[in-house]
Amino acid sequence: MKRFLRLYGIEQKLFFRSADVFIFNLCMPVVALFMIALIGGNKSAGENMTYLQSAFASLICVGICCCAFMSIPIVMVDYRDKKILKSFYCSPCSPAWLLGADTLCSGVMSIISAILVATVAIIGFGYRMEGNVPAFIGAWFLTMISMFSIGLMIASVCKTAKTMNVVTSLVYFPMLLFSGATIPYELFPKGLQHIADFLPLSQGIQLMKAISTGNRVEHIYGIIVLVAITVVCTAISLKTFRWE
Amino acid sequence: MSETCLEIRGLTKCYSGRRVVDDVSFSVEKGAVFGLLGHNGAGKSTTIEMILGLKKPEKGTALVFGKEVAKHKKESFEKIGVQLQSSFYQEAIRVEEVCKERTALYQNPGDYKELLQQFGLSQLEKSPVNKLSGGERQRLSVALALIGNPEIVFLDELTTGLDVAARREVWRTLKELKDSGMTIFLTTHYMEEAEKLCDRITLLKNGKILTEGTVDEVVARSPYDNLEEAYLWYMDEEVEL
Repeated sequence: MKRFLRLYGIEQKLFFRSADVFIFNLCMPVVALFMIALIGGNKSAGENMTYLQSAFASLICVGICCCAFMSIPIVMVDYRDKKILKSFYCSPCSPAWLLGADTLCSGVMSIISAILVATVAIIGFGYRMEGNVPAFIGAWFLTMISMFSIGLMIASVCKTAKTMNVVTSLVYFPMLLFSGATIPYELFPKGLQHIADFLPLSQGIQLMKAISTGNRVEHIYGIIVLVAITVVCTAISLKTFRWE
Repeated sequence: MSETCLEIRGLTKCYSGRRVVDDVSFSVEKGAVFGLLGHNGAGKSTTIEMILGLKKPEKGTALVFGKEVAKHKKESFEKIGVQLQSSFYQEAIRVEEVCKERTALYQNPGDYKELLQQFGLSQLEKSPVNKLSGGERQRLSVALALIGNPEIVFLDELTTGLDVAARREVWRTLKELKDSGMTIFLTTHYMEEAEKLCDRITLLKNGKILTEGTVDEVVARSPYDNLEEAYLWYMDEEVEL
């Protein structure tokens, strides 16, 4: 365990060293929060929710989205291409150590991003959660795990860095823009909302919105979808994983 | 009594019907420097990869310290150091960070600071790995292969692509390593490297062993008096100058 943590420590350092991590995970959600809060603020976004409330539950997921669909697949495919995983194979440890360490890095980054968004919302804009905070945190972690499993699946399935880049762009941008993570879902026309409902991240965000506003909606459906995604994607990524 | 570190019997590997390694057998004694020589694509790397359990042979066995590496991975790699052909590192990682990472992988690692000292890399500890010169980078990869305190090291084409000076730097490093009694398995296509370092060599062409022995024995069995000419003669590719 001590050895794993040492490995993780170094990977986390490397993780923080890349500039785009800061821009996408930390700056983007905070800037979006400022814009939405200043423009929309306490106006109603429908369904007994202000724009700030809506933005809180969605922007808190931007870090998850960036890590799951950018950091995780990019790092893993890069390490595979550079034969770093192969050199880890030629040691008493499994390459799984390295993958585990990097997934943990992404988890930590998502948490930092979420804490930052929450701090700005609470201190800067007086946000207060009406719903159950522990349930909200639970839903956030469930969303993170299930999105990470999609990222791991992409990393496993894509054979080359090129296909991985195409796939991550195809997944990342629609997920970021249309799941309601950045642009408020409530602003979408009805048709687009229906499409957005199919995005896995939307399930998490809808669940968190419902919990955070204390709305008595069917939570169970979203939870089932997220758990199912996690199970299926984890299974596929384990089945198709190649370290070389 | 000499002790066998590595024992290979009838190792064979096919890629889409083509035999890239064909019935290869040899053994390496403890403390010896063994050189596997051949052109690019002769099957050198595939042989190493089968020994290390990275690839599964169609036929034959490879035993390191009497055990198949793939079946005793954890235990074997505590005793085996590996430098793979063209090693790459994480983006923006520094020398000391690579060393610390590798140190974390072993039960009884050596002191990486001592190794860096030994390989003349101490002053580069804080440098990003991708800023190192070719020679420095290869010396680093040898140092990394030694971090776990191995009993045998596999070095795959360590000096390919290096300029003459850098190659000699690496050779000096290996010479010191050899003098310290380390068992070394290396692949190369530089004959000078084999002459300078290897106790025994094996020539590989199209996956088949052409000849083996000490450098002197191999040269003596050819009509020439140096390894480079002899090598080309064995490879059936003599070129008149």
